[in-house]
Amino acid sequence: MEGKMNHKTYHRSKTVTVFFLCVLVLLGLAGRLVYLMVFQSEYYTLKARELHERERSIKAARGRIIDANGKILADNKTVCTVSVIHSQISDAEEVIAVLSKELGLSEEYVRKRVEKYSSIEKIKSNVEKEVGDSIRARGLDGVKVDEDYKRYYPYDTLASKALGFTGGDNQGIIGLEVVYEEYLKGEAGTILTVTDAKGVEQDEEGEERVEPVSGRDLYISLDINIQSYATQLAMQTMETKEADRVSILVMNPQSGEILAMVDVPEFDLNNPYTLPNGMDASAFSEKKRQELLNAMWRNGCINDTYEPGSTFKIITAAAGLESGSVKPTDTFNCPGFIMVEDRKIRCHKVGGHGAEDFVQGTMNSCNPVFITVGLRIGVERYYSYFRQFGLLDKTGIDLPGEAGTIMHKMENIGPVELATISFGQSFQITPIQLATTAASIVNGGRRITPHFAVRAVSADGSDSQSFTYPVREHVVSDETSETMRYILEQVVAEGSGKNGAVEGYRVGGKTATSQTLPRGSGRYIASFLGFAPADNPQVLALAVIHNPKGTYYGGQIAAPVVRQLFENILPYLEEKIYTGK
Amino acid sequence: MAQRNASRRRQQKGESFMDYSLLFIVLFLVGFGMVMVFSSSSYEANLKLGDSTRYLRQQLFASILGLVAMMVVSNIPYHFWERFAVPAYIGSVVLILLIIPFGYSSGGATRWLYIGPISLQVAEVAKLGMILFLSSLICKMGKRIRSNKGFMLVLAMPVPIALMLWQITNNLSSAIIVMAIAVLMLFVSCPDYKRFFLMGIITIAGAAAVVFYVVQTAQAHVDDLDFRGARVLAWLDPEAYSSDTGFQTLQALYAIGSGGVLGKGLGQSMQKRGFLPEAQNDMIFSIICEELGLFGGIAVIIMFLMLIWRLMIIANNAPDLYGALLVVGVMGHIAVQVILNIAVVTNTIPNTGISLPFISYGGSSVMFLLIEIGMTLSVAKGIRLKDL
Repeated sequence: MEGKMNHKTYHRSKTVTVFFLCVLVLLGLAGRLVYLMVFQSEYYTLKARELHERERSIKAARGRIIDANGKILADNKTVCTVSVIHSQISDAEEVIAVLSKELGLSEEYVRKRVEKYSSIEKIKSNVEKEVGDSIRARGLDGVKVDEDYKRYYPYDTLASKALGFTGGDNQGIIGLEVVYEEYLKGEAGTILTVTDAKGVEQDEEGEERVEPVSGRDLYISLDINIQSYATQLAMQTMETKEADRVSILVMNPQSGEILAMVDVPEFDLNNPYTLPNGMDASAFSEKKRQELLNAMWRNGCINDTYEPGSTFKIITAAAGLESGSVKPTDTFNCPGFIMVEDRKIRCHKVGGHGAEDFVQGTMNSCNPVFITVGLRIGVERYYSYFRQFGLLDKTGIDLPGEAGTIMHKMENIGPVELATISFGQSFQITPIQLATTAASIVNGGRRITPHFAVRAVSADGSDSQSFTYPVREHVVSDETSETMRYILEQVVAEGSGKNGAVEGYRVGGKTATSQTLPRGSGRYIASFLGFAPADNPQVLALAVIHNPKGTYYGGQIAAPVVRQLFENILPYLEEKIYTGK
Repeated sequence: MAQRNASRRRQQKGESFMDYSLLFIVLFLVGFGMVMVFSSSSYEANLKLGDSTRYLRQQLFASILGLVAMMVVSNIPYHFWERFAVPAYIGSVVLILLIIPFGYSSGGATRWLYIGPISLQVAEVAKLGMILFLSSLICKMGKRIRSNKGFMLVLAMPVPIALMLWQITNNLSSAIIVMAIAVLMLFVSCPDYKRFFLMGIITIAGAAAVVFYVVQTAQAHVDDLDFRGARVLAWLDPEAYSSDTGFQTLQALYAIGSGGVLGKGLGQSMQKRGFLPEAQNDMIFSIICEELGLFGGIAVIIMFLMLIWRLMIIANNAPDLYGALLVVGVMGHIAVQVILNIAVVTNTIPNTGISLPFISYGGSSVMFLLIEIGMTLSVAKGIRLKDL
């Protein structure tokens, strides 16, 4: 007993030692806890949140595209996405029956998705709102109907190539939709839901919403009335002339605002992946089908170049006048051809125009006159005017895929090339480039930038942003511009463009008929460029008819198109200007 | 002092001494454990088994069984167990060996034996067995334990059991605990500090060497490391191994860290919803921290400190060396497990499966711990006035 008592003393102290060791270690661990739960808490809380939260995005309403009259050209339609959440379904059979019936899907298809074990399974998207509403109204467990936006174009084919369309995620694919994507798309919102490790939503945790920001509405200069009428005219012309394509461009030559851009055949913006009439998509390979679609979507006004022919004489005339190489009163003689070096270049009038001054030469669209003027200007000067007029650059129009000018290199231009360039052959430009350059020449020498977008306005209207476009002054002198307006008015009044004349209005213009390459194919491009009023141009139109059958002279088939257009839109525009709209 | 006066009064009236403080702490921990087992397991149990109270019921069953056993054992004079010293040792060895033919696997390790409907984790038996065996052995050795020979003998006795636990049941944690219990009992029974100080230094140096070796090997060729080596790497940088070895640790850290000072509230843990695997087992402390915050975590640590303090008081007032050693063994067992568990959960040491006494889900563990408390209570009853 005594012995036990003896060593009990150190037992005790050692037990106490053990206890205090434990205290020390546990204090250390408590300190570690403080470190983790106070100082590291923010970090781990964030990490844990990231782990627990699932993000579902809410699409933003895409901005609308609105014409000059406030008509909506591109809008949003509410559609629904129907999905099922496997773990929440209580009556699978009913769900399958209802969904297959309402959505017009095979029972087998729906069953496969309903019975699949996944956190959420999409059954169908782009479901009409009414159908979605009626499914939601049934209140089936595990069926989720999410609303969504789909792009909708109220006028179907109208201005399809200019407006463009959007893809599955509502992103712009072509046209204005893609150029102004940043303004139109808005910012997607998110729904953050807390889920367990398998992705099952934890209802009691609620959800956190970040509301989407709607895209900005894009107000464009396009006028639906002018566009509709131009489209009608183009369609008519294409049918009656059995043409391949007809393009009509209408712009304000003072500002560069485009009022209409037609390139028939157009396509249905609400069904952009449906091939043109009579074509069966399944008959083509994937690659071929894509090629056909690309061809259908192609905007001839800006994506394709052509030999402008005589309308280009506007540029030659302006360069000649500006350089002083020619005066309106200069006289020429046309025997029906002209020799350039050893080459005989014919005039379109076989017998020749005989003696004529420069104004008459333009009215007659006489090739020898313009070849003479071109040669007088000389390669280097001609080329520098080319550059000065902006023909070597793109116009900078706010549409994607603008084609550049296909031009000889300066060092490759000999007298023969210069001669052909002078009357608009042996090089290619886009219709928009021709129209823009002509506008710049007749508007007093201001090289404008053709464009659609006027302003972008936030969805609530609180913030409006106007677009500005570069203008280059003094491309030609006021004097030259005035002379050009006079000469071109004469062309329409009494010359080759008289079919473009509109009673009661002063119209200026120029016709063109060019044979497409290869020569002798019998394929022509007939075109007419007109503007009015001739003394102070407010509207400029270019009509280009590709491969018409029968009569193919621009003066006979293209000029009437512009005339009809002007007959309708000039009073309309006058009224608009008068009423100040 | 109040305690002592109270017990003195009872002794004088001829009542047996009952350490109600200890009893209360233990009952609290068991009750709290059950709440936390339910909280941490119900979501997954409902999802996987369609029965949210499955784990709670099993824990409740084991706890009731354990409490009954505790009351029975507390009424048996503890010297009764002295004669079971050698059988306890041999029994432990036999049970571990029985694992080889009859073991039941769960979660990739074979650690359980089925006795009828009750599964038994043999490591828990071995821990109790080691306490019983060493208490007797050290008493019998008397002063011989001070000699190097006696010292080494006591130190050598748990080694076979520990090795078997490690190798046969693949349970390094239990092996470490058995060794730690033995060392603590030896420490208390020897008057000197020097040898233990030396042992401590060797252990720390050894651990450092292992970590150094693992890091070196990892830089050369990771494939040479076994899963324990990988755990060391995951300990050093859990986020780099978040997809495999570091996964559980990282999930535990997310739970603890996201709890903050006040916690998310009881039942509000997110990490238990499938993110933290087996949340009701070894990692239950992290769910406590997530739901009850720093306050909850510290409160649990304080409860364990009080428990250890009570055990120290009883050990130091035990009527004889045998009783004192029994209680020291129990104290060591609980202290080591609490410390290692919290250290693992907070990624203070590499991940190794150690349950939190009384709180973690596990029938064998709670039952044997309650039996050990029963023995402690029995020792406490023997405290006589003149010993105080």
